[in-house]
Amino acid sequence: MLSVKQFSLSLNGSNLISNLHFDIADGQVLSIMGPSGIGKSSLLHFLSGTLHHGNQVGGLMASGEASLHGVNLNNQATENRKVGLLQQMPLLFPHMSIIENLLFAIPENLHKQDRYASAQQALEKLGIPDKANTLPKALSGGQQARVALLRTLLAKPDYLLLDEPFSKLDPALRRDVRAFVLNEIQQANIPALLVTHDPDDAKAMKGQCIELTSTSI
Amino acid sequence: MPLKHTTLITWLMALLLILPIAVGLIGTLLPAFQYFPPLGEHRMAFTPWQNLFAQGEFYASLKLTLITGIVAPVIALWLALSLLAWGYERAFFKKFEALLSPLLAIPHAAIAIGLLFLLSPSGWLVRLFSPWLTGFDRPPNWISVQDPYGLSLIFALVIKEMPYLLFVMLATMKSIQARESLQVCQSLGYSRYTAWRKVLIPQLYPLIRLPIFIVITFSLTVVDLALVIGPNTPSTLAVTLFRWFNDPDLSMRFMASAGAVFLMLSIALVLGGWEMAHYLLSKITRTERSNGKRHGLTDAVLAVGRILGLVTLLSGFVALLLLPVWSLAKRWRFPDALPSQWTFDNLERAAPLLITLTSNTLIIALSATLIACLVSLLMLETKRLIAKGTNQRNNTRAQHHAFDWLIYVPILLPQIGFLFGLHVLLIYLDLNGALSAIIALHLMYVLPYVYLTLKGPYLAYEEEYLRQANRLNHKPWRNYVLIKLAMLKPAIFTAFAIGFSVSIAQYLPTLIAGEGRYSTLTTEAVTQAASGDRKQVGSMALLQAAFPILVFWLALTLPPRWTKWRLAMKMTLKRKTKCSA
Repeated sequence: MLSVKQFSLSLNGSNLISNLHFDIADGQVLSIMGPSGIGKSSLLHFLSGTLHHGNQVGGLMASGEASLHGVNLNNQATENRKVGLLQQMPLLFPHMSIIENLLFAIPENLHKQDRYASAQQALEKLGIPDKANTLPKALSGGQQARVALLRTLLAKPDYLLLDEPFSKLDPALRRDVRAFVLNEIQQANIPALLVTHDPDDAKAMKGQCIELTSTSI
Repeated sequence: MPLKHTTLITWLMALLLILPIAVGLIGTLLPAFQYFPPLGEHRMAFTPWQNLFAQGEFYASLKLTLITGIVAPVIALWLALSLLAWGYERAFFKKFEALLSPLLAIPHAAIAIGLLFLLSPSGWLVRLFSPWLTGFDRPPNWISVQDPYGLSLIFALVIKEMPYLLFVMLATMKSIQARESLQVCQSLGYSRYTAWRKVLIPQLYPLIRLPIFIVITFSLTVVDLALVIGPNTPSTLAVTLFRWFNDPDLSMRFMASAGAVFLMLSIALVLGGWEMAHYLLSKITRTERSNGKRHGLTDAVLAVGRILGLVTLLSGFVALLLLPVWSLAKRWRFPDALPSQWTFDNLERAAPLLITLTSNTLIIALSATLIACLVSLLMLETKRLIAKGTNQRNNTRAQHHAFDWLIYVPILLPQIGFLFGLHVLLIYLDLNGALSAIIALHLMYVLPYVYLTLKGPYLAYEEEYLRQANRLNHKPWRNYVLIKLAMLKPAIFTAFAIGFSVSIAQYLPTLIAGEGRYSTLTTEAVTQAASGDRKQVGSMALLQAAFPILVFWLALTLPPRWTKWRLAMKMTLKRKTKCSA
C-alpha cells in the first residue's frame, strides 16, 4: 500500500495543491486528473524522489509524507526506493535489441538462465518472441509502450508511477494497451499511480480517481 | 556522470586551461625585457626591443606578415561567401559540401607540400603545358613558389581557410532562416547575389566573427605552412622569430621574445582594424541596401569569387592527388605529365623511417585525443549539472560558463607567442624532450576542438533515457557509459576524428616540447619539404593526409552500423556455442 498524507505544493508562494491524501492498495491503480500546470508531474517527482519534502527547486515547494507499507519514503534517495516510472516516451534504448532492453532491467543476482528465461517469457507475453534481436525502432508505437511497461516491471519495483503513458498512442491502440497495463499491474500486485488528462484512461484503470482543481483561483 | 563537487571540478579545469597559457605568456614577456634567470639575466631592460627595432629583417618580415596575414583571410572570406551565395540550397551543393571535410581534415603541411608539387617551376602545372605550349624542355627559371611577395603562401592559406569558413557558414545558416529570407527576396524580384549581399551576409557576419578571427590569427602566425611554401629571405615574422628562438646564440632569444610580444600586439591591432573596417563598410552600405535596386554591379564580385573559389578548391584536390603520384614514381622526367615508370621502391626504402614516424605520430595523436575526449566529457558534464542547478534562477550564468570562452584562448593565441615561454617551464620540470610533454602540448590544441564539437550533441542529449536506466538498475557509472555515451556514439566519434586530425597537423608543439627527439610525419615532412627528395617527402605527406581521412571515414561509417554489427556478431557467437554444446 502506497500512502500519501498532507501533500501540498506551491509555486513561488501560491498554492497549487493543498493537503492531498490518498492510499493505493496493492494491485490497484489510482488516477489523478487535472489541467496542465496543476502540479501532477511534481507529485510524481515527489514520489520518485527527485523532489524532496521541504526542498525548494526553481520556486517549487513540496511538503507532505509518502510511505510504502507503512515505511516512510521521504528520506530515501531515488535509487533506494525501487520505484518504476513509465512516461509518454517509451524510452527504450535505441542501441540495444529488445531482449537486451529487457535484460537490462532484470536484477543481476538471478541466475543467467533465469534472467534469459524471464526476458523470453516477457517477449512471449507480448506475442513477439521472434523480435528478440530486433531494435526498438522496428516495433510499432503500441508494442514499444508494452515493452517499456514490461521492462519497468521486470526490475521488480515496489510501486509504479505512470505519467500519461497512453497520450502518444493512436486512439485505436490505447484501449488494448490500457487493458494490458492494468492486467500486468494486477499480476505484479503493486500499487500504481496514473497521472493523465484523459478521463477514459482513468475509467479504464477501474480504480479510484482524484480530480485536482485550481485552489488558488 | 554521477559527479559531485562540480564547482571544484570547474575551478580545477579552468586552472588547468589557464595555467600553461599564463606561464607561456609570462615566459615570453619577461625575456622580452631582458629578464631571464636561466641565462643569468636578472635585470629588466629595453635592450631586446632596441635590438629588434634595429634589425632590418624585422621590418621586412613584419611587412610580409601583414600582407599575407590580411590578404589571405580577406580572399578566403570573399571566396567562401561567393560559393555559399552561389550554391546554397541547390541540389548539387550537397555533394560539394561532402568534399569539404577531407580538405578540412588534412594537415595543412600536406596540402602545402602538394601545392609545392603543383606550382613549382618543375611542378605538374608547368609539366602539363610543356613542351607543346610553353616549349620548355627543362624547368623554367621562375620563382612560382616561395616567392618574395608571399603570393604562394597566400594561395596556400586560402586553400586551407576557405573550406573552414564555408563549413562554419553552412553550420550557421539555419539560425538566420536563410531559406525563408531568400524566398522573400526572390519573390520581391531580387537577384540571388543581391539578396545575399543586402540581406543574408549582413546577418551572417556577426555569427562567424569568431571563426574569422581564428583564421586571421592563424594567417598572421602560421609557421609550418610558411616554412614549406612561404618566402624565405626574408620570411614572415613568425618564421623569422622561430629561427631566432632556435639560434645557437641563446642571446637571440631576448630579441625573439620581444618580437613575439610585438606579433601578439599586431594581431590585436589587425583584429581591431578589421572590426573598424567592417563597421565603416556596413555604415557605407547601409543606405545602399534599401535603395530598392534588384541587381547591382557588385553582384559581379560574388560571381568572380565563385569562379576563383572553384579554381582554389580544384587546386587543393589536385595538390593532394599529386602526393601519391610522387611517392609511387620511379622515373619522372621534367616535361612528362606522369611518371614513365612506377614503383613501390620509394616506400620500401623509406619504410624504416616511415614506420618510426608513423608510430610516433599515432601514439601522440591517439593519446592526446583520447585524453581530450575524457576531459571534454568531464567538462561538459559539470557544465550541464551547473546549468541544471541554475537554469530557473539565473539563465546567464549557465549560458556563459567559464569553459565556453576559456576554451578559445589556445586557438586564438599565436603558438609562437607562448610555446617558447612554456618550454622554459618544461625545462624546470625536467620534462623537455619527453613524450608526455608533447602529448600535453598537443592536448592544449586538441581539447578545444573536441570540446566544441561535442558540446552541442552532449547538451542536447535526452537525459530521461539515463534517468530511466538508473531507475531500472542502480549502477550510475555503468549506465553513463552503456546508455548515455553509447547513444552519443556518432558525436563522440566525430569529435575524436577532428581532435585526431588536429593533433596530426601540429608542428611547433611537437618540435618545441620534443626538442627534436621525437619526429612525427608532420615535423619530418616540413623539415624535408625544401630539401628536395620529392619521392620521400611525398610519401610522408601522403601518410600524413591518409590517417585523418581514414579516421574520418571510420567516424562516419562505424556509428550507424555499430549496433547492427554487434547484434550480428552476438548471434553468430551464440550459434557457435550452441553447436559445440
